[in-house]
Amino acid sequence: MVTLTIDDKQVSVEKDATIYDAAKAAGVNIPILCHDKKLKPFGACRMCLVEVEQMKGRLIPACTTPVTEGMIVRSSTPPVEKARKLVLELLMLNHPLDCPVCDKGGDCELQNLAYDHKVNSNRLADEKFHHEIDYNNPLIERDQNRCVLCGKCVRICDEIVARGALTFISRGIETTIGTEFDGPLSCEFCGSCISVCPVGALLARPFKFKSRFWAMTKKKSVCGYCGTGCNVTLGVKDNKVLTTVYDENQGFHNGQLCVRGRFGYQFISSDKRLKTPLIRKNDQLVEAGWDEALALVAERLKGAGSAAAALATPRMTNEELVLLKQLMTQQVGSQNIDHSAGYGHAAVSEGLGKSLGVAASSATILDIQKSDLILAIKTDVYETHPVVGFEINMAVKNKGIKLQIISDKRGKLSRLPGANLLLNKPGSDVALLNAVAKVLLDENLAVTPATPELAAALNDFTPEKVAELTGVAADAIRDLARAYAAAEKAIILFTSGLAYPGADAQLAHAAANLAILGGKLGKEGSGILALQEKNNSQGALDVGFVPGQGGLDAQQILAGCSAGSIKTLLIAGENPVVSYPAQAQVKKALDAVEFLVVADLFLTETAQMADVVLPVCSYAEKAGTFTATDRRVQKISAAIPAVGQSKPEFQVYGELISLLGGQPAATQAEAFAQIAAYAGISYAELGEGGAFAAVKLQPVQVVPKVVTVAVDAGKFALLTGAALYHCGTMSLYGEGTVSVCGEAYVEISRNDAAKMNISEGAEVKLTSSTGTVSVKARISPRMSEGVAFAPYHFAEASINTVWSGAAVTGVTISK
Amino acid sequence: MPNPFTPIMQGMKITLGHVFKKPVTLMYPDERPKVAERFRGLHALKVSHNKAKCVACYLCPTVCPAKCITVEAGEDANHDKFAAKYEIDMLRCIFCGYCVEACPVDALKMTGEFELANYRREDFVFTKERLLEKK
Ligand code: SF4
Ligand code: SF4
Ligand code: SF4
Ligand code: SF4
Ligand code: SF4
Ligand code: FES
Repeated sequence: MVTLTIDDKQVSVEKDATIYDAAKAAGVNIPILCHDKKLKPFGACRMCLVEVEQMKGRLIPACTTPVTEGMIVRSSTPPVEKARKLVLELLMLNHPLDCPVCDKGGDCELQNLAYDHKVNSNRLADEKFHHEIDYNNPLIERDQNRCVLCGKCVRICDEIVARGALTFISRGIETTIGTEFDGPLSCEFCGSCISVCPVGALLARPFKFKSRFWAMTKKKSVCGYCGTGCNVTLGVKDNKVLTTVYDENQGFHNGQLCVRGRFGYQFISSDKRLKTPLIRKNDQLVEAGWDEALALVAERLKGAGSAAAALATPRMTNEELVLLKQLMTQQVGSQNIDHSAGYGHAAVSEGLGKSLGVAASSATILDIQKSDLILAIKTDVYETHPVVGFEINMAVKNKGIKLQIISDKRGKLSRLPGANLLLNKPGSDVALLNAVAKVLLDENLAVTPATPELAAALNDFTPEKVAELTGVAADAIRDLARAYAAAEKAIILFTSGLAYPGADAQLAHAAANLAILGGKLGKEGSGILALQEKNNSQGALDVGFVPGQGGLDAQQILAGCSAGSIKTLLIAGENPVVSYPAQAQVKKALDAVEFLVVADLFLTETAQMADVVLPVCSYAEKAGTFTATDRRVQKISAAIPAVGQSKPEFQVYGELISLLGGQPAATQAEAFAQIAAYAGISYAELGEGGAFAAVKLQPVQVVPKVVTVAVDAGKFALLTGAALYHCGTMSLYGEGTVSVCGEAYVEISRNDAAKMNISEGAEVKLTSSTGTVSVKARISPRMSEGVAFAPYHFAEASINTVWSGAAVTGVTISK
Repeated sequence: MPNPFTPIMQGMKITLGHVFKKPVTLMYPDERPKVAERFRGLHALKVSHNKAKCVACYLCPTVCPAKCITVEAGEDANHDKFAAKYEIDMLRCIFCGYCVEACPVDALKMTGEFELANYRREDFVFTKERLLEKK
């Protein structure tokens, strides 16, 4: 600790603190413009100048100068004030000062500083900038005339996002922030640069001119897309969500969001939202009242027993899932309930459920930066959970944490400094993990001895044998095992969800075995973290929204519909026609089922087939809790009133329970109290950032079953997955995300493209044993030869016409 | 005791004096008042280059104490900001003139127009078209 004096206040801070940090601790406000707590000190603007007794004769920038013992700092003496005023005059010399038409007005650091320092005239005069404004992309407007060259956008894009899309170009008065070859910005569109820009040089185009900052009410919420559980602030005006507002103090991620969280909000106040219930009459969906619709549904459900089933989306709140489960199991008397197509949650529900004794991850997202080694299985972690990707990037770059990757394709993670990628053949992940476990045993690196069954089973997985199967060198496997064993703390990450059938229970067992053998469970910075797809995937498991005793899982439910044993199907928010594999079979099942009820925000492809459609609310219109993938339980509350006549599902299922003679929980708190996994957490006391539900581990070594996937010669191994810009099918209703990624595509390697003479963007046909689909080709350096990747979100040219749920599908690609 | 006739005489003097003065009553609407230049009557949106000068900065609706101004900004073909909607609800306006004072581009003024009576409530909501300065 170092003790110093700032404006006559004594303060003790860590020895690596800067004067600015110390001043903050002492409650002294030093103005800053280019400094950001999330970024490394830069010292570009000189707003933070202070006087230091020991360094008389010049003014010292507080944000870059480390503290020393006994320093005497004065933050606002006449020379300091004079210097700051000059800095501002210089900054505004060429600045257009077009505040009336600048969207940043009212939230602008330059405005605020000019106001604080009473800079209402300029002693200097010069021409204003005349840079061309960049309108070349749909999301970010770049007006370099307003730029103050603080470099925050450049630094955040590099230090946190790891994209490096922006940089300083030219020199002196000509300096601007430029893009790659000064072309149109083509990046991840996470909007981080916009969020830190202190002026109006970078602006969100979807929000352009929509409202002044001060006219909006800021409502805190939790992002409704992926399982990371990022906190967001919604900007609300006239009962509409107009934008997301950056708050650097929000959440573990300090306000960082990905493109979906930042730009995918339009679905909430979209014109396409369903406004009234719809009932099929004469083969037409016609508008109806709630009473009529609910009475009809209740009548069908009454006494239906196991001829009824429900599929729910893990985007619903925990409390809604509790009620829907109660409705189905108690009032209707059916155990046929499931979510995420059944297999989408198997890695956690079955895999970790058996291996760890609890269907949850042992590690949290916070453990990533506290670890010594990160083992990421598949680079998709970055695409499915971008903010977790930022955490990994910061862990690697700022803390020197080692990054090991096992993946069937290259990706952004494998480009991080020092990342070691084991590029395996598609579908061979479990064998590869087994080989790593085998090395741990063979080289006596295991901390926990293997059970005889596991040891025997692993005998087949010597690195040499597996090398042949996976295409990864035996030595690389050994090195990975050694690195994993040598790290004191190591965390294993993998993605699970609808598009990742390969991330199944077997993969989870194999990964868990590594952690068990390596002794990496149950301590900080170590363990297993399954990154689940949806915002409440973990919650759906904690509530137990899975088939009960003798109940059918999602696939069996659909089969039951086709076979006629399921007569009434309630689909709450899922869109199986697009997101479940084997579209033809799903459609057949939904056609066959006698009575289909769909509760959704939109008239999705699935809802169009329904007999009754119930309009329900988005996360911005309801209260309840979501559980992030690391079992962080967070509370949301309504930011806007329900759109149209839509109702929160809590109310809908509550009313159905009442209609069927049951007693629903009256409040969210009451429903929450029924969730056994959250014993010890009080709904009322859940504050910002939520609370972690306890995970009690009872590790068991389970022998994973290895299924080798063979793709016929001459065919491509098609992998499915998620695109960075989307999550499930809901983001397809967010204009922002669609504007940068709106069409189905398939990624293939450069060599394959050259061989088949396919150019970027060309229409290609994918044909599998189940069907054919035409999509755009993307030529990507991350793919290996013979491997193709297609995201699954898009209804038009839906990939589930050729994909029937296998981890790897053999397809032919033709022009 | 003072003379009881004195106050009466004084009163009569004033009354008689007025008989010979010019009358103050304005025979409205046959006669019309002269409105002072600084009078704060109906607003007008100034026009320049055949366009409203207003850039939809939202400052007047922000400052308006009666909260009677509604502005909605739009983006034109040149990506510039303009008032796609500009409305003042004259039933709520207190004619304080803050809006005029707040405008950073001098796009708003108050005219001498004071005859705002109307039959229906809706007619008191002045849209952008009605507010545009008449040349
Ligand atoms: S960036 Fe700030 S100072 Fe510059 S025009 Fe916009 S609001 Fe005004
Ligand atoms: S949007 Fe994100 S990726 Fe794109 S330039 Fe900004 S910070 Fe970088
Ligand atoms: S664009 Fe914004 S964040 Fe980037 S350097 Fe300019 S002022 Fe700073
Ligand atoms: S005159 Fe006053 S009350 Fe009337 S619109 Fe202007 S600011 Fe509002
Ligand atoms: S203050 Fe002036 S420029 Fe701004 S919205 Fe009002 S009239 Fe338009
Ligand atoms: S804030 Fe210190 S130099 Fe910019």
